[in-house]
Amino acid sequence: MSERPDETEKEPSHRLRFGAGLLVATLLVAGVGHRLLSTALGETARFGEDRRAVVSLRALTDLVARAGDGEAVRSVVAGFAAAQPRVAATRVVLFDGVSLEASTDPADSGDDAAPRRLKREEKELYDRGQRLRAAIETNRAEGGARKDEVEKERLADGSLSLAAPIEREGDVVGMVETRRVPPPPAPRPSLLTTLSYVVAPVVLFALLSLVLGDRRAPLGALAAILLAGTAWGYAAQSSAKLSRARTALEADVAASVKESAAKAQELLAALPAPAAPEAPADGAAPEAVPAPSPAPLDPAEWDSDAFRRPLGLSDGAGNVDAAKVAAAIASASATIRRSSLLLGAIALLLLGFVGLGGLAAFLRTLKTHRTAYAYVVPAMVGMVLLVFFPFVYGIVLSFTDQTIYNSNAPLTEIWVGFKNYVSILTDFRVARTAADGALVFNYQNFYWTLWVTIAWTVTNVTYGVVVGLILALILNTKGLALKPAYRVLLILPWAMPNYITALIWQGMFHQQFGVVNQFVQMLGMEPVSWFETPATSFFTAWATNGWLSFPFMMVISLGALQSIPADLYEAARVDGASRWQQFTAITLPSLKPALVPAIILSVVWTFNMFNIIYLVTAGQPAGSTEILITQSYKFAFQKYQYGYAAAYSTVIFGILLVYGVFQNRMTKATEAI
Amino acid sequence: MGLLTKKSRAGADEPPHFPMHVLLVLATLYAIYPVLWVLSIAFSGRQNLAIADVPPDPTFWDRLRTVVPWPAEVSLSNFRSLFADQPFATWVLNSAIVSIATTVVGVFLACTAAYAFSRFRFPGRRVGMMSFLVSQMFPGTLMLIPLYIILVKWLNLGSTRTGLVLAYSTTAIPFCVWMLKGYFDTIPRDLEEAALIDGASSATIFWRIVLPLAKPAVAVTALFSFMTGWNEFILAATLIDKEAMYTAPVGLRFFVGGFSQQWGYFAAGAVVVSIPVVALFLFLQKYLVSGLTAGSVKG
Repeated sequence: MSERPDETEKEPSHRLRFGAGLLVATLLVAGVGHRLLSTALGETARFGEDRRAVVSLRALTDLVARAGDGEAVRSVVAGFAAAQPRVAATRVVLFDGVSLEASTDPADSGDDAAPRRLKREEKELYDRGQRLRAAIETNRAEGGARKDEVEKERLADGSLSLAAPIEREGDVVGMVETRRVPPPPAPRPSLLTTLSYVVAPVVLFALLSLVLGDRRAPLGALAAILLAGTAWGYAAQSSAKLSRARTALEADVAASVKESAAKAQELLAALPAPAAPEAPADGAAPEAVPAPSPAPLDPAEWDSDAFRRPLGLSDGAGNVDAAKVAAAIASASATIRRSSLLLGAIALLLLGFVGLGGLAAFLRTLKTHRTAYAYVVPAMVGMVLLVFFPFVYGIVLSFTDQTIYNSNAPLTEIWVGFKNYVSILTDFRVARTAADGALVFNYQNFYWTLWVTIAWTVTNVTYGVVVGLILALILNTKGLALKPAYRVLLILPWAMPNYITALIWQGMFHQQFGVVNQFVQMLGMEPVSWFETPATSFFTAWATNGWLSFPFMMVISLGALQSIPADLYEAARVDGASRWQQFTAITLPSLKPALVPAIILSVVWTFNMFNIIYLVTAGQPAGSTEILITQSYKFAFQKYQYGYAAAYSTVIFGILLVYGVFQNRMTKATEAI
Repeated sequence: MGLLTKKSRAGADEPPHFPMHVLLVLATLYAIYPVLWVLSIAFSGRQNLAIADVPPDPTFWDRLRTVVPWPAEVSLSNFRSLFADQPFATWVLNSAIVSIATTVVGVFLACTAAYAFSRFRFPGRRVGMMSFLVSQMFPGTLMLIPLYIILVKWLNLGSTRTGLVLAYSTTAIPFCVWMLKGYFDTIPRDLEEAALIDGASSATIFWRIVLPLAKPAVAVTALFSFMTGWNEFILAATLIDKEAMYTAPVGLRFFVGGFSQQWGYFAAGAVVVSIPVVALFLFLQKYLVSGLTAGSVKG
């Protein structure tokens, strides 16, 4: 009696609940929004810095390529570096002679001043150049862009180290490496502005709630509207900020292209007719051909990606391609819109949860049962993190086409919907007829593997039950000598770790040295290559698993047999029942309650018996003896098709789930009878 | 009198024991043959898979010699060089550390959760227990990819013992919880209620009354967790790629997997690794069996 008024007293008003809900929801929106915005601003700043760095490096490589070598290179490098305050050091490496041709690095002064041969401990530098050469050759051979032709590396202090190849007449002859000074810290969104997105709606809610009174519907609507406004406002603000930053960045990059181009032209003009004196020195160059006049610089090429493909956002003369930039900004804005919609929806759910009393009820439950929850939580946290979350994540993966090559891409980019499931489940081409009329099976097909798995499970469980039951019946004989000794020795196969069993049996089936073939030869037959045809290979795995699985059934049956009261048999004998009649009328029915669960369990175990197949046959030949679970492992860890393998595993889970539900119904039905 | 005659008649009715012994001896030979074979390779002092060399033109007796699991000479050299020349001691140590840590963590988590499931009625109890049961059906490979991503890529625990311990102890939890809950259910509540009246806290009751009473079940759970860690192969093979961090199963496979054919080391290692688990298993299998079947009957 005394508790009731107490509780109603504690019940907070709608105003307070929705106020709190709005506070939490706007905090979420503003907090996550702030974080996203500052990441995006940082990324934009980095993007700009990277592009300016690439522009200056590409300009310099073009210059160096035209300058040839020797003094000319050193003069353009020094001249260019002087005009680039953000470049800390530049080094030029030529492969011919393994030389450091030019360097503005303070470390390369005095005795180490360029030009000189590269030192042993500078192998890294030489390797980097060779890597670029190999990358370019690979990309050319493949006609694609797979390997970076401009290497970017962020050093520990946040500065960039870049390397680009020097190409002359299509050959990579060297490399220019630059180190930039550490970039200035990226602009951060102001915390005060973000906070105002929390304070304003909450204050507004407090004021308006005084007008509306403590009624649920209007207050809820008001809070929802304010929340939506907050989310929209923050998204619009972020969008504007980012688009301003991007526009400024493009203008800046275009200006730096123009500036570099001007400086490069100036330096080129200052060079004393570069190639002409070089040509005679180069013995291979015939006299008759005049030194090729180098192609004019193409500054529009410099603003490029890692594969030296121009981005095309500016024309090299300082003009920005407004349409392309606008398109890039629009796509960024669309991303912001999408994520803020999602964020808003989550925040709205949170608002509803807190505002409609869900949180209060939740906290009450937590408090009433706090002891129980305290006991469950440690195990639950572990299970959620390392069992349920991976499970859900695996199912999510099954809808993507993640492989080892794109495993860092966000899942939304590699989302393929049900494609994996469709390609697993709707491919019925299990077998085709070859030219000579023979059937050729496709061992990679899901239905082939399913059939193998079912055959595997049924034959193994049957064998286990039959052998186990027979041995149990014999062991159950009254007064049999040596019973405990037999029992212990017969359990041995179950007690051994099954990976050891699997490896032993795999050895026993070895074609030349295996003991099974010694037996075969003892009987005067030719040794069998067990792992070379599907049937014999399947037999090896089956024999292994049969050996290790009968003791379980034996122990279960023996326990059940021993609990059958002897009176039953005596009564049957008095009635003149034969031995067989006794077996079917008394023994089998009494075994059922113990055997049925054991069989159910053993079916699941055998269905998922990974170790035996994986270690004994490994699917040989050609994957024909894979079962579902080993096949999915192969897809994941040998073919690295993570998404496809996850879908495959989910199908296995589905089969087991259906089996579980079905078996539950069956046992319930049989129990009812 | 009537009873006696019946009994003697029943005795006469029993089938003769001799054929049964024949069958049992055959079955026992079948069961222990591969084990004997491992033993004889282990003690042969050679790396060969074959026990005896077959002469070029073998007679039946030469063939027979090759299938009798007795080494040509008994030697401990495989064991000696397994520990001296191969990093097997490290692998066994890794396995021992992982298994013991798994046992400690797993049993602690399972005991507390099972106690709550057994003694308290709270919202989420049924869902929690069912989810534990269903998790037993998750195919290992479905878990393997995400676990690999979480442990190796996100938590950076690839090739560490911690990663294995985390994975093993959580995968062992559901079975341990169900088993312990079944046992806790059989402990009468009177004692706890009496202690509660005496003013004992819930923690005191759990640690001082329930756990000591449940010692046998806790012991079986502990051994189950230990064996999970000791015998597990595929997760360790996937997560560990540094030879120094191998567990014993991965290490043993290393001897005879791929193109490696060091059967002597494998067999010696298998003997070393199997002895503790086989002993424990033979000692405790009846508890395991009752736990397994009880769980599935309830499910």
